[in-house]
Amino acid sequence: MRALAAETSKLASLPAVWIATAAGVVVPGVIAAITASAALGAIDRGPAAIAAIDTGYQELAFGVVGAIILGVVAVSSEYVTESADSGGGRQITTSLTAVPSRLRFLLAKLSAIAISSAMLAITAAVTTMGVVRVVLGEHAPALGADDVPRLAGVACYWVYSALLAAGITVLTRHGVVPLAVLIANTSVVSVTYLLTKITPLANYLPDMAGVRMFIRKLADSTAEISPLTGGLVMTAWVTVLLVTAAISFTRRDA
Amino acid sequence: MTGGDASRSHVDVITIDNLVKRRGSREILSGISFRARPGRVTGFLGPNGAGKSSTLRILLGLDRATSGAALIGSVPFAKLPDPLAMVGAMLDGPGAHRARTGRAHLRWVARSAGLPRARVDEVLEVVGLTNAASKRVGAYSLGMGRRLGLATALLGDPEILVLDEPVNGLDPDGIRWIRTLLRERAASGRTVLLSGHLMGELAETVDDVVVVNEGKVVADGTLGEVTGAYRTLEDAFFALTTGAAS
Amino acid sequence: MTVPPATRTRGREAAQALAAELSKLATLPATFLTLGGTFVVNLILAIAFTNAGLRDSTGTRSAPDIGLASIGYGQAGFVILGVMAACSEYVGGQIRTTLTAMPRRALQFTAKHVALAIVVLPAAAITAASGVALAAGVLGDTAAPVTSGRVAGALGGVTAYLALTTLISAAVGALVRRTLAAVVVLLGYLFIAGPLLRDHVPAARYLPDSAGFAMWFPPAEDAGAVTPVHGGLLLMAWTVVLIAVVVLGYRRWDV
Repeated sequence: MRALAAETSKLASLPAVWIATAAGVVVPGVIAAITASAALGAIDRGPAAIAAIDTGYQELAFGVVGAIILGVVAVSSEYVTESADSGGGRQITTSLTAVPSRLRFLLAKLSAIAISSAMLAITAAVTTMGVVRVVLGEHAPALGADDVPRLAGVACYWVYSALLAAGITVLTRHGVVPLAVLIANTSVVSVTYLLTKITPLANYLPDMAGVRMFIRKLADSTAEISPLTGGLVMTAWVTVLLVTAAISFTRRDA
Repeated sequence: MTGGDASRSHVDVITIDNLVKRRGSREILSGISFRARPGRVTGFLGPNGAGKSSTLRILLGLDRATSGAALIGSVPFAKLPDPLAMVGAMLDGPGAHRARTGRAHLRWVARSAGLPRARVDEVLEVVGLTNAASKRVGAYSLGMGRRLGLATALLGDPEILVLDEPVNGLDPDGIRWIRTLLRERAASGRTVLLSGHLMGELAETVDDVVVVNEGKVVADGTLGEVTGAYRTLEDAFFALTTGAAS
Repeated sequence: MTVPPATRTRGREAAQALAAELSKLATLPATFLTLGGTFVVNLILAIAFTNAGLRDSTGTRSAPDIGLASIGYGQAGFVILGVMAACSEYVGGQIRTTLTAMPRRALQFTAKHVALAIVVLPAAAITAASGVALAAGVLGDTAAPVTSGRVAGALGGVTAYLALTTLISAAVGALVRRTLAAVVVLLGYLFIAGPLLRDHVPAARYLPDSAGFAMWFPPAEDAGAVTPVHGGLLLMAWTVVLIAVVVLGYRRWDV
């Protein structure tokens, strides 16, 4: 518990975490404002048009970039040497002296990441759905009982993405490559989405499966995956990756 | 308190003239003035945070002074036509990227001044890093990092050496070695300015002493003048710096 | 030994600064790891796109169009290279050595960017050409006919685009001074903000990414589209202005 408190305060003191927070809330919020006003224009022009079922959710799928940055930075900050005063020293040495059990250190770190990315997801979801409601007014799709599991799916997807990002960074010990790969894959047309054009198996990659937890109409979908299956598939990916990361982390030199 | 030959002293003198540095509302330097002359080892002493490093950084053009001037001869460092041949500097740490080898680091510095590759091997030999030259800087110990910093400073065989806390991290052998090196440079008429707070190590190396505290010069003179009535330079230092603080 | 002769001319100083900056790039392991990694990843993606092309899910059978599609992702590697070239100065306090060896900062900054361009231009050309060659080879006779002029134009455009993007990334890296922060800003713009702006704001076509895409993307049909030449000029202007702005700051700030 003390290790978790230490990891949480370490996270809060990282400037990059505030960048991640800003990205996680601002990106989906602003995109939602843009797309919702475009949708409003369409509705005003023709009564046949209605706001799409994924309004708000689609934007939250991009906002996950905030959770990804959080996951990468939380781990890579242990290895950075850019600060002028660090004298080339790395925080990881101090951290492992303070919490000698590596497994406990890693668990504390991952818990801190999970808690903060869940909070980030909730903030972003409230903001984004709020923006949609304000812009679309009466045309906004009504929030009903179905939205409870969907919003829970958003939070789950964000937490899993942050943990995946952290797990990959534990393996690489350097933040740049995981960050680049994961941001590039959050783009409008992601690499994993392109892969589904080649093989339907790509639908079971973590992000493609995970978004099923809250996205209902995936463009040109090549496989039908239920929200529950999607969630389970992503859970499996996260578990395998974190176990691998933990094994590697406890066995190698700091 | 003169040394070296007068004919060239005007280009080798370091002149710090009424330097003021403010960062936000904090005044780090409040009008620092002194000189470091050729043929002498000048010790620039003070407790941590007294303004030593800030003064040296301004002297080397890394930071900008709020007012005042720091000159090499009659020009600021950044106006020197061939800076590496005029001033060799070592500030905190090796000043090298941890992923490069020591030799690769010295080579790019040498290229920036058009120095031959052979000169890199010479300075590696001088500082005793020949065997570690192909290792990455990240794998160096604190003392090896210092030696690499010194090698960089010596690369252009400069007229002036500016060293920030040079004995930090060196073992007793290293300290004796650097003391001899600095004495030899001064004896050949060159200028040496070094900062530090380890009084015991410096007393046997320096000719002139400048003591700073809280951004002001509190003593400036030869070693004998500054030590004065006190038993050792260390006693004088504590009397001067704690006296100014109260 | 007396006073060292003050004979170094500005031209000689510039040549030596360039040699030093080239030496820095060449001895940083990250340079070739990034370029090599980018080449491999780009080639793998090119294989994927070509595969999709064979199944007609790309909507085109043009070898240069399919072979260059992966560059949209591969550019991330060039962004990383630019950022790392700039931010590596701040590892281990190397910037202090750099500026005591080359105190004329505008000259040093220019030399660094020229050195980067010298390294990146051939790497970008090879990366781009490998994708096109692969697509052409796999598609074989089924490839849509294209003129060699169109291929050369697209390859030239892509090479220039990647080089300029690398220089912009280096300038942003010098401004931010932190690798991760600079990478987040640049990739967040290139992969998330840029494409969305392009879809919703007409003026976005003059922004660096969209203008640059015009240099090599299949030319658009509508009359208001930016031509490859105009796109190239626009991106060059963005690069020069950004570097100039960063130099103004870099000359003055404490390191």
